[in-house]
Amino acid sequence: MSEATNPETPLVNWVLNGQPVQSPAGMTIFEAAKALETTIPNFCYHPGLTIAGNCRICMVESNRSKKPVISCSERIAEGLEIQTESPMAIEARNAVMEFQLINHPLDCPVCDKAGECDLQDYSYDHGPDRSRFDEEKNIRHTKELGPTIDIWGNRCIVCTRCVRFCDEISGTGELCVVERGDRSVVDVFPTVPIDNPLAGNVVDICPVGALISNDFKFEARIWNMRKTDSVCAGCARGCNVEVQSLDGFVKRLVPRENMEVNKWWMCDEGRYDYRYLLADERVTACTKDGEPVEDHDAHETLAHWLQDPGGTLGILVDPYITCEEAFLVEQIASHANNALVGGWKPADGTAQSFPGQFTISGEKAPNRLGVEAVLGKLVFGSQGHALRTALEKGQVSTLIVFAGFPHPDPDDAWVQAIRKAKRRAVFALQAGAWTEGAGLVIPGASPFEKDGTYANEDGRLQRVRSFHAPGDVEWSHDLQRLQAVLRIAGLRPRSLSSSAVFRELADVKKPFHGLSHSTLPATGAPLPGFIPLPVGVEGGSV
Amino acid sequence: MSDLKFSEKGMKKYEWLLTRYPDKQAVLLPALRIAEAEFGELGIPEMKYVADLMGISPARVYGVVTFYTHFRRAGTGTFHIQVCSTLSCALRGSQELADHIAKRLGIEMGETTEDGMFSVSKVECLGSCDTAPMFQLNDNYHENLTLDDVDRIIEDCKKESARGGAR
Repeated sequence: MSEATNPETPLVNWVLNGQPVQSPAGMTIFEAAKALETTIPNFCYHPGLTIAGNCRICMVESNRSKKPVISCSERIAEGLEIQTESPMAIEARNAVMEFQLINHPLDCPVCDKAGECDLQDYSYDHGPDRSRFDEEKNIRHTKELGPTIDIWGNRCIVCTRCVRFCDEISGTGELCVVERGDRSVVDVFPTVPIDNPLAGNVVDICPVGALISNDFKFEARIWNMRKTDSVCAGCARGCNVEVQSLDGFVKRLVPRENMEVNKWWMCDEGRYDYRYLLADERVTACTKDGEPVEDHDAHETLAHWLQDPGGTLGILVDPYITCEEAFLVEQIASHANNALVGGWKPADGTAQSFPGQFTISGEKAPNRLGVEAVLGKLVFGSQGHALRTALEKGQVSTLIVFAGFPHPDPDDAWVQAIRKAKRRAVFALQAGAWTEGAGLVIPGASPFEKDGTYANEDGRLQRVRSFHAPGDVEWSHDLQRLQAVLRIAGLRPRSLSSSAVFRELADVKKPFHGLSHSTLPATGAPLPGFIPLPVGVEGGSV
Repeated sequence: MSDLKFSEKGMKKYEWLLTRYPDKQAVLLPALRIAEAEFGELGIPEMKYVADLMGISPARVYGVVTFYTHFRRAGTGTFHIQVCSTLSCALRGSQELADHIAKRLGIEMGETTEDGMFSVSKVECLGSCDTAPMFQLNDNYHENLTLDDVDRIIEDCKKESARGGAR
């Protein structure tokens, strides 16, 4: 891949499907063709893994060979002429597909991969519509390979992507191919199940339905699910994910490619951590002094509190609020005569790094940097301490708490401190220590339900989107609630979309200058001043 | 089974092998041969031992051991009959030979007799096409076989076993 990105690499003249083209030397036919938007079928090729060249589906016709060549491992050369759709190439692929399907059960109607299965797609394009195979199909094992992964051996085409993943990316090497010939299938050593922090990725990279996630098994059909591009909130890494949901329930998370952040992978900790959305402790309705109240009443009460805080107004933020929400927090604080804004986040754990250059951050907070960019670099530091000290001294009369922690892990000192405020309103994801004894409890949105931006540990600003369909949600998320409160209090003229709030934010906060939701690239954009920028990039530090 | 360990002689041979190959992984096959000779069979503890000794993942060893038919896996009978079933032998009646052995021992291909004396499996070419049909009995080739030969060899094995010898 480095050849492709280095401008020094000489270009090679070659011919793709009759068109003279140029590509950087050293690229494989497959990669060069892909860069030129010509896709060649593939099973065993994966951009993040070494080349195995065992599936043979990527065969193309070459002027340098009497037989078709595999495009994933052959490199381009001066004068090379490649045909990807000639009769020879198509015949070669048809033959490969016929072999692949000999022992394949074709159980797509009950297979969880159906709908996103490469074998299914290529079978449609290249597979024969009937089998010439009269003999009995062989049977291979269907069993658990580990706590989260099952194998349906009959579907396995032995491309070894999963084996290479465990060898090269997670570095744990639990998987292997056992037996040989038509009996060969992926397996684990009998006493060593596959159980590593990245194990879930082998399901994503399986081009067929052989490796199945226990968590998603028989949960939903792929094509029925709503797919939302968002960012994982499990740690400060900010892996790009696609949230797949059905009828308002998250069914699974799959990673999206972002070479700047998570490449093609994500960790199991983030992948399987969405059940808290349905936790019993989830706050679903507003309460005032323990009694359920209408949303509007709750908003009105909070608005009155803001108009007359009766002394110092304290705002305690968490690292789960979006940059847009942080901006509204700042607006609230700036309108008060006397306001203290501080933050609290759980203590950092240890980061985990893997041989495949993937890191799980030890900081379990998705937007610390984003909140700091809006509310000040010390919001989780000395500003937080100042707020807590004021609370402990009983100097804060009205306190607003943002407690969007998916896993309640309150700090005792903080829990004691917030009780000292005369009035407390809590935007809470879950009922617990933060909400106990609070005058006003307002349901908070989870990171899966927010709309806005998060900045990861590298200062990369990325879009977070709610997985709910518009109009699907009976209750609004924090950004809308905050705006409703501000409108009632007469501090904002009207409620705006997340994108419009971001526009206001970008106008006044320097790190966000020139950015907007609509122009934010799919891979995110670095916030200048919060990461060391490469030489020559405009912006510089704040 | 943690007391599993190569003998001094075996370890010496293993260390000598390490000097013979440019890549440590290449020593896996001969190392498994030593393990087979020292431990008698390659079961889960034996494969684990070799993996730990070589510093590679047990799954890798497992994949290699199961790829080849010639390794003695755990649960194999005292006498392991591997019937060649590739082209030359197939043309010269290996199927008939295999059926006869299975019938005589009362087991299917790939199974072991209840007393643990015989295992029989069908394998790919053993490189003895000029003497088809043939099978390998433990480490020895038996070639140009007729059904009578098979009966005689099986009887010999039983007698040998009664005398207390395995091979």
